[in-house]
Amino acid sequence: MTSYLIRRIWQMIPTLVGVILLVFVLFHLFGGDPAEIIAGQNASAQQVEVIREQLGLNHPWWIQLWIFFKEVVTFNWGSSWATHESVSHIFLTRLPATLTIMIPLFLVTLVLSVPIALGVAYVRGSLTDRLIMMATTVALSVSFLVYIIVGQWLFGFELAWFPIQGWAPSLWTNLALYVPLPVLLAVLVSLAPQVRLYRSFFLDEIGQDYVRTARAKGLAERQVVFKHVLRNALIPILTDISLQLPGLFVGSFLIEVFFSIPGLGREVLLAVNRSDYPVIQATTIYLAVFTMVINLLTDVLYKLVDPRVVLK
Amino acid sequence: MTDSIPDTTLLCVRDLAVEFQVGREAPHVAVRGISFAVPAERTVALVGESGSGKSVSAMAILRLLPDNARITGSIRFAGQELTALPDAQLRALRGSAMSMVFQEPMSSLNPVFTVGDQIAEVVRVHERIGRRAARARTLELLEEVGLPDPQLRIRSYPHELSGGQQQRVMIAMAVACKPKLLIADEPTTALDVTIQKQVLELLARLRKSHRMSVLFISHDLGVVGEIADEVVVMQAGEIREQGLVEQIFTAPTHPYTRALLACRPDLERHPRRLPVVADFMGGQDPQVRDEPRVPRPDRDVVLEVSGLTKNFRLRDGLFHWREVPAVEGVSFKLRRGQTLGVAGESGSGKTTMGLTLMRLHQATAGRIIMHGSSGSANLVDLSEAAMMPYRQRMQIVFQNPYASLNPRFTIAHILTEPLVLHSIGIDARARLGLAGDLLQRVGLPRDALNRYPHEFSGGQRQRIAIARCLTLRPEVLICDESVSALDVSVQAQVLNLLLDLQDQFGMAYIFISHDLAVVRYMSDEVMVMNQGRAVEMADGESIYRDPQNPYTRKLLDSIPRGVAGRLLV
Amino acid sequence: MWWQATQRLRQDRIGMGALAVVGAFVVMIVLVSLHLLASDWAQERGVHYANPTFLGPGPDELAMIEPPPGQMLDLTAVDPLAPHYADIERRTRALATTLKPRIQTLPFGGDRYGRDVLKKAIKGAQVSIVVGLAAALVATFIGSLLGAFAGFFGGLIGDSLEWLYNVFTSVPYILLIFAFAAVSGRGIASVIVILGLTGWTGVYRLIRAEYLKHSTREYVRAAQAIGAPPLTRMFVHILPNVSHVILVQLSLNVVSFIKAEVILSFLGLGVSVDSVSWGTMLNEAQSELILGKWWQLAAATLFMAVFVTAFSQFTDSLRDALDPKLR
Repeated sequence: MTSYLIRRIWQMIPTLVGVILLVFVLFHLFGGDPAEIIAGQNASAQQVEVIREQLGLNHPWWIQLWIFFKEVVTFNWGSSWATHESVSHIFLTRLPATLTIMIPLFLVTLVLSVPIALGVAYVRGSLTDRLIMMATTVALSVSFLVYIIVGQWLFGFELAWFPIQGWAPSLWTNLALYVPLPVLLAVLVSLAPQVRLYRSFFLDEIGQDYVRTARAKGLAERQVVFKHVLRNALIPILTDISLQLPGLFVGSFLIEVFFSIPGLGREVLLAVNRSDYPVIQATTIYLAVFTMVINLLTDVLYKLVDPRVVLK
Repeated sequence: MTDSIPDTTLLCVRDLAVEFQVGREAPHVAVRGISFAVPAERTVALVGESGSGKSVSAMAILRLLPDNARITGSIRFAGQELTALPDAQLRALRGSAMSMVFQEPMSSLNPVFTVGDQIAEVVRVHERIGRRAARARTLELLEEVGLPDPQLRIRSYPHELSGGQQQRVMIAMAVACKPKLLIADEPTTALDVTIQKQVLELLARLRKSHRMSVLFISHDLGVVGEIADEVVVMQAGEIREQGLVEQIFTAPTHPYTRALLACRPDLERHPRRLPVVADFMGGQDPQVRDEPRVPRPDRDVVLEVSGLTKNFRLRDGLFHWREVPAVEGVSFKLRRGQTLGVAGESGSGKTTMGLTLMRLHQATAGRIIMHGSSGSANLVDLSEAAMMPYRQRMQIVFQNPYASLNPRFTIAHILTEPLVLHSIGIDARARLGLAGDLLQRVGLPRDALNRYPHEFSGGQRQRIAIARCLTLRPEVLICDESVSALDVSVQAQVLNLLLDLQDQFGMAYIFISHDLAVVRYMSDEVMVMNQGRAVEMADGESIYRDPQNPYTRKLLDSIPRGVAGRLLV
Repeated sequence: MWWQATQRLRQDRIGMGALAVVGAFVVMIVLVSLHLLASDWAQERGVHYANPTFLGPGPDELAMIEPPPGQMLDLTAVDPLAPHYADIERRTRALATTLKPRIQTLPFGGDRYGRDVLKKAIKGAQVSIVVGLAAALVATFIGSLLGAFAGFFGGLIGDSLEWLYNVFTSVPYILLIFAFAAVSGRGIASVIVILGLTGWTGVYRLIRAEYLKHSTREYVRAAQAIGAPPLTRMFVHILPNVSHVILVQLSLNVVSFIKAEVILSFLGLGVSVDSVSWGTMLNEAQSELILGKWWQLAAATLFMAVFVTAFSQFTDSLRDALDPKLR
């Protein structure tokens, strides 16, 4: 196991280097001139030149790459060009808000979608199955934006069940007051694709030979589906969960924008609009590292779920 | 001889018919009204080729067919009419009074549960016993089916066991609740011939000790002759003949049965050409004379292989690679117009050797020397470009007729592509003409050129594959399990075709197969492979009469010999 | 095989219905592209927030303002312009005016500037769908090409492409889009490039798996045995067997890229300010809803929902027709 972990960590390095390269190429080659952005619109050519010197932009590109590389490795990101807040500070303060929304959202969706998908797979081919499939197709065709706009208007404005927007410093106030509406709307949207996906996993398993054996042993259909099929379908479900986890951290920026929640997603969106490169670069690279770590954890977790897996 | 036990009927099937509804088309009829009976404590075999409806009939008894199946007729088991039973009651019988063993043990076992759990499950579903008692029962069952180290195996997962061990586990599950009827659907077809023998012995032993009946489904008459008391012969959803096993084998009445028995290559006889089913349907049985192959050691050597080795690299540990030998130090000489048979079980390396000879795998060591009028060359070191002329001289026919032709190509494209690549034929018309000629030579009509592979049967596709090889007029043809996926009657036709072509074109064959009887029939010399090595090499007759190597002897012992080799248990 | 699939598709009534709807949209888009339809969407024809025709004209807001109480004062004595009013009136009447009076109601209502919502929805359909389609073509092409090479050759090529894939998938998708959007300008071409260069990874994974599977199949080995070169094996032999997978992926990508474009345009990162897309319409609709003006939201949602549902349903039917073993 240890040798497997070491080998995987060793393999992460080229990928990380690749991400750093990608970010560098994107922002330094295709992006606007950082000096001009920082100097603002009313700066003179001289001021711009001074800033350029400071940022080291007059060096050849491989030296710039080396400087960039060093910054990444030493976690030295500098400050946001717009607010001069240190990037690491931005991270630490915005992350909790994002997680307060995303973790309940993720858990509620998971807890709801697996049983619903299982139930639909159990009654496969029936009218219920087809109605639900049709409903999910229509639900998926409406943009997330519409759900939020209508939801905010209906529940926040017309019915006044929840506050339209807002955020509090206390975790529990947030969970009680400001979290329910965004989470409700987001769950409504993400249920449809998740149910469809998990349903296809279950149906794949139901078609396997071992299900025929289970029936030949005299097991009731309920036992076949809820014990044998579910246990095998957990493998692709686990894969799907691991793919979703890194996305939790960027959060649903749409939700954060609409509900004025001071989270990381909203911060990144603001940074994009302001061409605030340090924030975007840092977020991209940190999240890349995080994704790789999650992938590694998932692969190790596979061993628990799928006995056929051999970690070499 | 069968024991004299009072004849009470356990299972009585009458006018059973099964059809499948697919979309809006007319329903596909799989079984057309069959009637047979399984007496208590007897083994009845359902024999037939693919499409005969034997598996469908068996699964209909347990109601394991998919939802779009319509079953009519009567199935009486121990006095109860099964077709009238509600699902819940039938479920109570499944696994307890009647149970089933399937063909592919690896996929029939749940991969995420231990073997012990799966066996215990069937016990706990039908009997009210606790976990401790179930575990004890499981251990007993594992011992009974002959699984070594039951204490260890009870916690194993299916993928940790070999094919034979997995099938033993399936059998343990099937006999756990002491059923009166065990249905075995091709239980040994996917197993090596040495393992097959052990599993068949196990089944026979269990049948006696549990005093149950066995309904055994198979396409292999040799196996059936060894294990069955009564035989039911099926073709195209109908029963052609049924009766006691001795009568079927020694004095069959229906021409189809006679054809099935005659067209298998036998270890005893050697007809010039194998009889085929069509020969028997005319009314008069064909006369078959023995004509042993004449050894001709004076022919030129066309292919000389020495020390051929192929290793595969597998990752092992942190940074190391492990070399896994698939073929080790194989040497032989192949003479013009003659056949070298390569026999062995799965994992023996015979297929890998064939692919390596064709340069589809890169050899790790050794030499493959092809001799010819323009000199000799070692094929191992040649570049792809230099290989091109040699590709014309050596070709291969693969095992799976359903995978060796590109489903999206017309037959014309498949046959003319090699001609185009090697610049044979002046223009497209000439090439099409050549392709058409070859199609007729292999027994297919010219208009097949415009059709697609899926419109043809397995045997026909194999002929097309052979025609594809012939377009290049090779001197050496490698037949890699080329008839193993075909029904016995079709197999005879293709083997006859191969022999005809060899006579006409003077090709040398390397005939690879796990079926020893077929290898003997086709070959002048036979090489037996085991775990990558050639363990014995001799001419066709001596290797069967007087095998030297212990492995060869074990292999020959395991061949099912029909009634002559009945398992005396 | 294509012929069989067409037959199966013809029998699927829901699928054919969906295809008809998609076809109608395609005709509409072609007309828009030829400037035969909705080319004057930017014209401010109606009054502000004009009501839809089926609701009838809204209350005349000017008329609702009550006149102030009290007497009107006569300012002629102190008004410096008073002597000139008659002259101004005369000259005004001499001028021709091109300013057409604003219409009270429009078929689907008007937006804040009085633009015809129905025309905006149609033009927006053209923009969103064309962007989605073009981006899907780019992403599917890149993903298929790279996947084919990775799956077929393996070895160094496969490892390098896997590295590239890992780099792109390490970054969460939305973030990647944002990063690309941050460095590119606005506009239709930009969005197509952004979505195309970030969305190839799903197709890559799938096509690579297909090529891995097919490369060891016997018909490919047979092609190698007769001497067919590698590129021929990849694109003449294997590709026709994989094309149905690519087609389904293309359709799925069209739907997801349309939705992505809508979100990008909504955030102001998508099409430029002077074009319209369903996303910009939704952006405007956000503030309109509170005022009780719901028709722009409804139009954009309706058009988008109808098209995406029809297209998704068609993709499902296509998938079933190409491989009937799938449910």
